[in-house]
Amino acid sequence: MSGITFLTSADLPPGVEGVVRAGGTDLQERLRTANATPHILDLTGIDGYTSVDRDDDGTRIGAGTTIATVARELSDDYPALAATAGALATPQIRAVATIGGNLAQRTRCWYFRHPHTACLKSGGDSCPARGGRHLYGVVFDTSACVHPHPSSIAMALLIHDAEVALAGGQSRSVAEVLGDGVDPTRDNQLGDGELLTAVLLPAPWPDERAAYHRSISRFEAEWPLVEAVCRVRLDDGGRVADCGIGLGGVATVPLRMRAAEDLLRGSTLDDDTIASASAACTQRAEPLPETGYKVPLIEATVREVLERVAADQA
Amino acid sequence: MTRFDTTVNGTAHVAEVDGHESAVEVIRDQFGLTGTKLVCGGGVCGACTILIGGEPTASCLLPATSLRGTEVTTVEGLGGSGDSGAPSAARLHPMQRAFLAEDALQCGYCTPGFVMGAAAFHDRWRQEHGTAEPDRHTIAEALAGHLCRCGAYEGIYRAVAAACRGDHDHDGDEPDRVAARVDGPDKVTGRAIYTTDVTLPDMLHGALRRSAIAAALVGRIDRSTAAVAVDLLGDDRRVRWAGQPIAAVAAETPSEARRVAAELDIEITPLPFVIDPEEAKKAGAPLVHEDRRARRNAPSAAEGPVLPATWDGNRRNSGTVPFRGMAAKRRVRRARETGTGTLVELELSTAPQLHSCFEPHACVADWSDPARLRLWVSTQAVDHTAHSVAEHFGIDEADVEVVADNVGGGFGSKVSLGTEIIAATELSRLSRRPVKLVLDRHEELTGTGNRPGSRMAISMLADDDGRELQALLVDVESHAGVGIGNVVGALAMLVYERSPRLAHDYDILTNGPPGSPFRGPGGPITAWALEQAIDEMAHRLGQDPIALRQRWDGNERRGALYRWAAELPVWRARPVAGAQTGRFRRGVGVAAANWFYFVDPDSEVVVSVEDGRLVASTASQDMGTGSRTVVARAVAEVFDVQPTEVEVRLGRSNATTIHGPTSAGSRTTVSLWSATTDAATELRREIGGSVSAAANGTSATARRGGDRGIRAVPITVAGIQIGRGFSGAVHVSEVEVDTRTGRTRVLRVHGGIAVGRIHAPELARSQCEGSIIQGIGLALYENQVLDPHTGLTLTANLEDYRIPQLGDTPEIEIHFEEAGWDHVPGGGVGLGEVATISPAASIGNAIHNATGWRATALPVRPDRMIEALSERPSVPSAPSRGAGR
Ligand SMILES: Cc1cc2nc3c(=O)[nH]c(=O)nc-3n(C[C@H](O)[C@H](O)[C@H](O)COP(=O)(O)OP(=O)(O)OC[C@H]3O[C@@H](n4cnc5c(N)ncnc54)[C@H](O)[C@@H]3O)c2cc1C
Ligand code: FES
Ligand code: FES
Repeated sequence: MSGITFLTSADLPPGVEGVVRAGGTDLQERLRTANATPHILDLTGIDGYTSVDRDDDGTRIGAGTTIATVARELSDDYPALAATAGALATPQIRAVATIGGNLAQRTRCWYFRHPHTACLKSGGDSCPARGGRHLYGVVFDTSACVHPHPSSIAMALLIHDAEVALAGGQSRSVAEVLGDGVDPTRDNQLGDGELLTAVLLPAPWPDERAAYHRSISRFEAEWPLVEAVCRVRLDDGGRVADCGIGLGGVATVPLRMRAAEDLLRGSTLDDDTIASASAACTQRAEPLPETGYKVPLIEATVREVLERVAADQA
Repeated sequence: MTRFDTTVNGTAHVAEVDGHESAVEVIRDQFGLTGTKLVCGGGVCGACTILIGGEPTASCLLPATSLRGTEVTTVEGLGGSGDSGAPSAARLHPMQRAFLAEDALQCGYCTPGFVMGAAAFHDRWRQEHGTAEPDRHTIAEALAGHLCRCGAYEGIYRAVAAACRGDHDHDGDEPDRVAARVDGPDKVTGRAIYTTDVTLPDMLHGALRRSAIAAALVGRIDRSTAAVAVDLLGDDRRVRWAGQPIAAVAAETPSEARRVAAELDIEITPLPFVIDPEEAKKAGAPLVHEDRRARRNAPSAAEGPVLPATWDGNRRNSGTVPFRGMAAKRRVRRARETGTGTLVELELSTAPQLHSCFEPHACVADWSDPARLRLWVSTQAVDHTAHSVAEHFGIDEADVEVVADNVGGGFGSKVSLGTEIIAATELSRLSRRPVKLVLDRHEELTGTGNRPGSRMAISMLADDDGRELQALLVDVESHAGVGIGNVVGALAMLVYERSPRLAHDYDILTNGPPGSPFRGPGGPITAWALEQAIDEMAHRLGQDPIALRQRWDGNERRGALYRWAAELPVWRARPVAGAQTGRFRRGVGVAAANWFYFVDPDSEVVVSVEDGRLVASTASQDMGTGSRTVVARAVAEVFDVQPTEVEVRLGRSNATTIHGPTSAGSRTTVSLWSATTDAATELRREIGGSVSAAANGTSATARRGGDRGIRAVPITVAGIQIGRGFSGAVHVSEVEVDTRTGRTRVLRVHGGIAVGRIHAPELARSQCEGSIIQGIGLALYENQVLDPHTGLTLTANLEDYRIPQLGDTPEIEIHFEEAGWDHVPGGGVGLGEVATISPAASIGNAIHNATGWRATALPVRPDRMIEALSERPSVPSAPSRGAGR
């Protein structure tokens, strides 16, 4: 049934079913390619949907907050998240795309989006990319699906231990919402019709140092081959008191690089530490036939962000 | 249905939507504001940019309902509204004036969107920074959501910078005066009508049903579910590539047509097929063209006629060009065995490059009056199209009119009678209503042609001091899918003359989408092999690559370019190949180009006086190359008036128009310039110097004719005559390789072009800059990727098919050598193709200079760079002798 319902609250009116739409920057393209006309549940009028509220415990970002707003308004207290937001897509997309839609967007795999083929995420019974072309595929081969998760924002939220609020009042960690990425049919663990209402960030780190980098072939506005984000807090002796390293473009979920973080904690950001932490990020990498290049690229990308954070300190 | 109010350009509108629509559909189809273009449909290119509350927004991904209660500005209203509330033509935003003055456009299809994004940036910038000039990086970041396939990026940088400096603040500028192009004012305001913008009363919309599998036998097509449907397959009922059109339908709306097409019940028997060219060569591989008839009907990737050839399974021998070929082979063999002389042998490959014209292939056919067929077509050949349509449908050419007022790019893909034309015409014939058929981006990037990929082997032998080129062997296998007629290796025989040499060209047929002519067909591919081989030769000999070319290349026009290139500071300061060890390595490379001089001697131009105005017309077209402006300037020169005072009527072929050239083979300007000058001169003789109403009705017609003296090939085939002399180009590029992340940036390109007199310098420069941008795409990013198991095109959107962005644009200098073409009326020949051949090869050579690694496979993506550099230690590569195959 086509048509549209403008929601004013995150609780769906009984009997209303359809596809939820926020900024539309992911959904509209998929609808056009599929020539689909589903019933639309428009989220843009929900109360509190676009507000950013801070208190002592942290920050609540309404699910409808645009990526541009995140990049602009959170750059002082959450620079790693803001830098990630400011580097994705294009200025025009960032102005419309929402943080909720970013977390819930579907994969960009070229088989998934192709109108003439089916994959595990579109009702097919195998992953055509695995035995086909997967130049932009995963390096950590943990699922039958081999295309990386698309969300840069999710990668940044992971290293903030962020949570999301769901309609109905519960909240779940971002890590839980993303899941382990093993189920090849899903991009996240949200249930049908389960709505994100906000992203909840813990209190910021004072004096956070942060850097984001995406490795791509052109100037900008290109999906990352590999992307990395890092945030670091130093103690008075210049040693890493706390840190987070996120990696994207490499697995069916964004990854948090715990092993590398452990290497950094308690150390200064010297060249050797950076080198071993970057190298640690490739542990357990199992590249596909066409993604071998991503192994050195992971190391290069992580090194890039760590070096930038280190230089910031000098 | 949901109705809502919105204000567009100060005027209240009511929209009615279902809910799933995007804003661009409402703006174009309901409000009739066709300045806003739909190109990628994926938020990548910015052609659909509108302002909402002053913020630039991609309307292709914006839900239409998000326009509810907003203030929208489209390109039509950018300059503000006059008192009447209607957008007034005279009022332009400073950015629009800057685009005109700095010639920041070619075909103009990306222009409305670019102008919108740039105007919003300008307004913000001026508020924050006054008239300070933004640097290129700032501009590129702000406009990262915009793409231009013609590559008018240099002009765009200039325009944005100039407008921000305040150079174009004055409302008093008359747009017509400042415009470099006579059609510029229409293009920066969204007034220019392209085929995709044409709407006729009572019009239906067409859609194609394409094959999802790569080979099939098609049985019955049940047309009962469609009001109007046509079968597009030939008598053999064969589908040979995934994406091939099978049938077309028409319905009241585009989405209804797409639905009906998708639901057609078609009896399909899958057949075996082959996608990988190496598999296709093997004995027993499924035959792509199974018999003589199929081979005769195979689509051609060549610009001219295809000569008969011998076939061996899926391998077609498309030509051998020997010049003491046996001697060449013998010499190379001996060098391999004995190690004497300096032998360079490279194996290279290239990837298919898509034209990706921003205006998709499109046709509006109106055959509602059986006595008259009117067609609006996005074509680079109005006259030829009228002719072929008449032939195809068996009607009198006098009853056919083809219109292409504006064409949003072609690059070689819009010269022949495309499926969209045949389908729309047939649907209109059946329905007795006008039918519009516009390909979407997915279709455009799958099946409208490509510059075929290839595998090449080249052997180049010289003596120990490089005094003499002793032998040259080139073997090329072209991969044009189901297409034939590729000529690549043969072109390599024409540059470094006098040595024994031999070229073999083969088409390897696969069930992939057909290749088609693409700007300088074969040329950039030839250069990728030949120009890297000679570079490698110079490297092994320890000699200067320019000096070596000067010794081996007898072309005097290129000789002048070599002298110019050798003096460039960037060339003189180039590093030693492979000597750098740091993370970022810079390198400089050179490459040369050779191309034919084509002309259409039957081209005619009529210059007349109508309503006291000068009017020039011919059945040619302007697809962004500037032919309209060139004709205006030729007339203006004779009458000593402003080009804007001349009305140029192009883009129309009907019973009353005269023959004009196809815009392909670099022949438009050279075919039109002197004919226009001659007609204008004749008219001036008749009416004197002053044009007034008294002269109304007078006219003069001139035909281009041949050149002074002898011609090389005095026969005209398919509107092409090969004239005497070769044009030349030399490109010097500087790159920076990030050895860590594998990214290559092109920093600077100097392009030297020897085509004689330049009739419209800004436009010519823009063409040459665009060639460089497309060359960068070929060298570093572009690659049509097929799924090996199904043959489906995976890169069928502008995210995965990566064309150069504004931020990838190097600093470009274009240098023209204007001598050497005195035998040509007007003193110059075409440049659209020669300028496109050497950029990619010069980048390959620059990469070698920077890293010591010879990139043989195109495109040189980060993955290839990383893999190559991780295999080689970062020490300078010593010049060495002999490289095995
Ligand atoms: C050219 C381009 C480049 C891009 N590059 C990047 C990139 O590098 N990194 C990156 O992360 N993203 C990138 N994106 C994706 C972009 O960030 C997402 O499309 C966008 O964030 C989605 O937000 P939206 O509000 O437009 O979502 P919509 O398109 O409205 O929705 C997306 C999906 O999420 C669901 N959804 C939306 N809101 C909710 C909610 N509140 N609760 C539950 N489900 C919901 C919808 O049903 C839909 O399935 C790119 C996009 C484009 C067009
Ligand atoms: S058409 Fe909208 S961004 Fe390309
Ligand atoms: S002028 Fe930009 S696409 Fe043609």
